[in-house]
Amino acid sequence: MDALSIYVARASGLHHLNPITKFVLTLCLMICGLVLPGTWSSYLILLAIIVPLAIWGKVLSRLAKLVFNISLPLIVSVFIIQTLFWGKGTPLFEVGPFAPKLEGFLFSITSAGRILFIMADFILFSLTTRPDMLMISLKQAGLPAGLAYIIVTTLQLVPRFVAKANTILDAQRSRGLETQGNLYVRAKALLPLILPLVIGSLLEVEERAIAIEARGFSSKKVETSLIEIPDSKNQKKARVFFILSTILLIATRLIWLS
Amino acid sequence: MLENIKKEFSTRTLVLIPIAIAINIAIGQLVIVLKLPIYLDSIGTVLVGALVGPWAGAATGGLASLLWGVIPPPLQYAYAIPFFYVAMVIGLMAGYFGKRGVFEKESPRWLSVLIGAVFFFTLTFFITAFLNRSTDETGYTTYPAPGALFSQYAVFFVITIVVGAAIGYYLLQKGGYAGLAGLVTGAVAAIISAPTAAIVFGGVTGSGTDLLVAAFRSSGAPIMASVMAQGSVSDPFDKMLSFMVVWLILGSLPARFKAR
Amino acid sequence: MAIVNLQNVTYKYPLTDSPALQNINLQVNEGEFVAVIGPNGAGKSTLCYTIAGFVPHFFKGAITGTVEVAGNESSKSSLHEWVLNVGLAFQNPFNQISGAKYTVYEEIAFGLENIGVPRDEMITRVEDALKLTGISDLADRSPYSLSGGQQQRVALTSILVMQPKVLVLDEPTSQMDPIGTREVFGVIRTMAEKGMTVILVEHKVEWIAQFADRVIALHEGQILLEGKPQEVLTSDLLREKDFGISRYTSTARKAQEMGLWKKDILPVTLDEAVEGFAPTTSTGSVHRLLSPEGRGKK
Repeated sequence: MDALSIYVARASGLHHLNPITKFVLTLCLMICGLVLPGTWSSYLILLAIIVPLAIWGKVLSRLAKLVFNISLPLIVSVFIIQTLFWGKGTPLFEVGPFAPKLEGFLFSITSAGRILFIMADFILFSLTTRPDMLMISLKQAGLPAGLAYIIVTTLQLVPRFVAKANTILDAQRSRGLETQGNLYVRAKALLPLILPLVIGSLLEVEERAIAIEARGFSSKKVETSLIEIPDSKNQKKARVFFILSTILLIATRLIWLS
Repeated sequence: MLENIKKEFSTRTLVLIPIAIAINIAIGQLVIVLKLPIYLDSIGTVLVGALVGPWAGAATGGLASLLWGVIPPPLQYAYAIPFFYVAMVIGLMAGYFGKRGVFEKESPRWLSVLIGAVFFFTLTFFITAFLNRSTDETGYTTYPAPGALFSQYAVFFVITIVVGAAIGYYLLQKGGYAGLAGLVTGAVAAIISAPTAAIVFGGVTGSGTDLLVAAFRSSGAPIMASVMAQGSVSDPFDKMLSFMVVWLILGSLPARFKAR
Repeated sequence: MAIVNLQNVTYKYPLTDSPALQNINLQVNEGEFVAVIGPNGAGKSTLCYTIAGFVPHFFKGAITGTVEVAGNESSKSSLHEWVLNVGLAFQNPFNQISGAKYTVYEEIAFGLENIGVPRDEMITRVEDALKLTGISDLADRSPYSLSGGQQQRVALTSILVMQPKVLVLDEPTSQMDPIGTREVFGVIRTMAEKGMTVILVEHKVEWIAQFADRVIALHEGQILLEGKPQEVLTSDLLREKDFGISRYTSTARKAQEMGLWKKDILPVTLDEAVEGFAPTTSTGSVHRLLSPEGRGKK
């Protein structure tokens, strides 16, 4: 699977769920997690909901690895900056001009929790859902075909374009283009790299349009689908449940805040 | 009007948009490889606006922002997502200017010089004002008066005006109209992104209701305030450059491509 | 029965001064295999687009004359209806992959989804098409992970699954390596033998000579010559107008001038050349002399 997706195939119940169910769950979890108060609420959701789901989906180790790799730099900087640059508060100790504050430290625990939880939420979704399957199920639910085409095609084309850009970079370098040095030198390298990439791509647009027209892209007939993604009454009920619970939670919090 | 919107989304447009989004990302990464202090991540969006029209441009911008957030290792560029409406406006304005032939006309050189000079003058003005701000007793930030600034930094202003004029001459050349359109678009972009940036970057005093606020505040930069300032400064320049590049590209295309 | 019928077709692309096609009169019978040759700019691609309906529906521009396929007139049809009758494939295999599907199987079904074919029929047609072109083993692969030749075969399969009445191919092997070329020609030959009406634009004249029923030489938007491969491909007219002709033809022509080529008709393929030279020298040595692998050896 190389179309910009970290999906891994597993024979798990989570994988077999309708993509829309997983999508709704992911979004609702995220909103709930942000709305809940307290330092430890994110960690709670992480451990009580996301980890069990990951186990069900047989992707726990991969999830953990990915989440830590991506979040770690962010979390480290969160701790440093929030602890050191907190406004007024109780200093923990003093190192030269820097006085890390306790409040900042505590706050960064909250922030770290939220970062971890949101990352885990989305990465779990990406690990267990194929993007094209998500698009198909959205189309089944009424998403315009043109939009689905654009999204999936973008996912497949971006890696190729980045590769193409690198090829052009190498080619121009071997022709003597300087890409290192002072600002002026590097800036001069921009156009010889951008122009071939863009102009070459624009010339392809016409052929690609002809190719899909030749495959009936503009047909006025009602589209059919090769792949039908199964849905079930239970999943539909579950989705409604997720959405209603989230709304309830938001309402409760708003009332509680005022 | 609905007819006009639908007309923009022909098969050619639907094929162009993924390519334009891919161009956004490819060039955005190229700029990182070249270690240049600009983003240049909207060239595809501007291109669609210029070639097709405002609605296609807006769609490209919106989709690009949303997809950029989920494309590479997930969520690394997630901060782009809340600003999707800014990217839409950039595409919209590019389309608007495109319909007025901004990307095809050549401008007189003196206009480019003027634009460069005025832009750098304004830039210097804001930077010096920002650097010299002070906080009075009630906690408000005050900025020095323009007259005081000019007299204090007179030499500096003159230098930057000259530099700006030269940059306008060499960089914009005959693409003055495109450059100006880009400047205006960039300024608009900076303004309409400020509220979101404020919510996302600022307003954190510890009430802890928003992860985004916390994360972006910390991950964004060492000094939050200067990041905000940098955003409103780099955006017009960045868009000016992007519009210029698209002007150059359109100039290099064979005639029949523009007959859409 | 002429399944393709072009009468007095003249066409000009928008914003151009000279017509790309001038007074084209062309009839192709059902089941015929017609090859089109010509130098760059002769109008070969434009001819393909015209038969396939993209001229004028996609490219706009000014067209006169009638274009008929299977009894339908191009001017009275819309593009999305026309593509059901005429399939079009062209040089660049990468651009013919839709990008909307993650596997070859789905990619091939893409066209059928667009035109609303029911699911069961879709599956049957895709499976049959995969077997026909011999790419069943590629069904689960990502189209972007394939070689050029494989991609081109996927593109052809995607068109064939639509069951067009006429197949128009615009230099399908130009970007292929020798293996890819062989694979693609194999598919084309299979289709031709099954009775498909094929119109093929090609430079590789040796292959055309073996399999085409008729050759049309296009020059500056007009039909210069038309007839059996043997006649057209060895004609002096082609040499004058700077067409790419078989090296065997040019070699034999020189031999003819030296009195070494005894036959009336010049050869186009390697085998014909060997056969023609046979009385003069031993077959083996001529074969070695003329074939690409043999060059340079004694």
